[in-house]
Amino acid sequence: MADKSKLGMEMQSYSIEIEKGKIAEFAMAIFQKEGKDQVDPIYLDQKAAQKAGYNDIIVPPTFQFCFPFLAGGGLMPIIQRLGIDLIRLLHGGEEYDYFGPIYPGDIITGKAKVVEMYDKEKKDKPGKFMEFTVVETEFRNQRGELVIKGRTTIIER
Amino acid sequence: MTNKIYFEDIKIGDAMPTFTSDPITRTHMCRYAGASGDFNPIHHDETFVAMFGMPRVIVHGMLIMGITSRAITEWIDNKYLKNFKVRFSGMTEPADLTDANTKARATIIVTGNVVKKFAEGGENRIQCDIRVADALGEVKLTGSFIAALPSK
Repeated sequence: MADKSKLGMEMQSYSIEIEKGKIAEFAMAIFQKEGKDQVDPIYLDQKAAQKAGYNDIIVPPTFQFCFPFLAGGGLMPIIQRLGIDLIRLLHGGEEYDYFGPIYPGDIITGKAKVVEMYDKEKKDKPGKFMEFTVVETEFRNQRGELVIKGRTTIIER
Repeated sequence: MTNKIYFEDIKIGDAMPTFTSDPITRTHMCRYAGASGDFNPIHHDETFVAMFGMPRVIVHGMLIMGITSRAITEWIDNKYLKNFKVRFSGMTEPADLTDANTKARATIIVTGNVVKKFAEGGENRIQCDIRVADALGEVKLTGSFIAALPSK
């Protein structure tokens, strides 16, 4: 059961460098392709990206979900600090607000905070509750500009 | 890909182009695990999931969201996206190569309709609600995206 006294808890920030190869690999994964020539070239070719109106190669819309994994540990530090039961854990939802682009070579710093904790009664089991925890992460680049705000909803069923 | 879609071209109720994925295999899931760094064994180790009575591994929800993002950005350019949110409602099992009938449960179909056109932050924006289901009609996620589109 999530420890509700942890509402407002801030996690230690982490930073990663955005690597071109990693963007291409991620694009191939979500395009379900084995070749770089089979995905949208804005994700791996600077010239193609510039032709499409970008300053450089950009990242797919859900790429930032990887950042805590690429930095090491993924969501486990948060889950452990909250005392969430892994067996009952579900990824309930994910939301992103986009404020600016992320380019190769950027240093992105992610800072996560527990912003909501609430219970919802199960429709099929009155008196039994599902517990919801919402973690908000601000992703800022090396100039301190907020590029993406993410919200991850974790459910204990 | 650059699509020339203007705010004026979009009407409330318009459908986004329906997108159909390849049937998701364990190989696709391994590729996603490696690319994303998400090595939760629930997505690749059949002996791990067996301990919880599950018959097979389940697909990363974020791979389904990633496939959904591809469907969106094949219609509306990545640079116009302002918000993208999903609520996961069902798990997805990969296709078993030994049984062609399992392809349908692993085939992801993304559909959506424009529900709103509005001005915000000096931009012309649309909201499109999306629904993602497998080829059997089982809903995997529902959500929406908001995009700021250029005007003519």
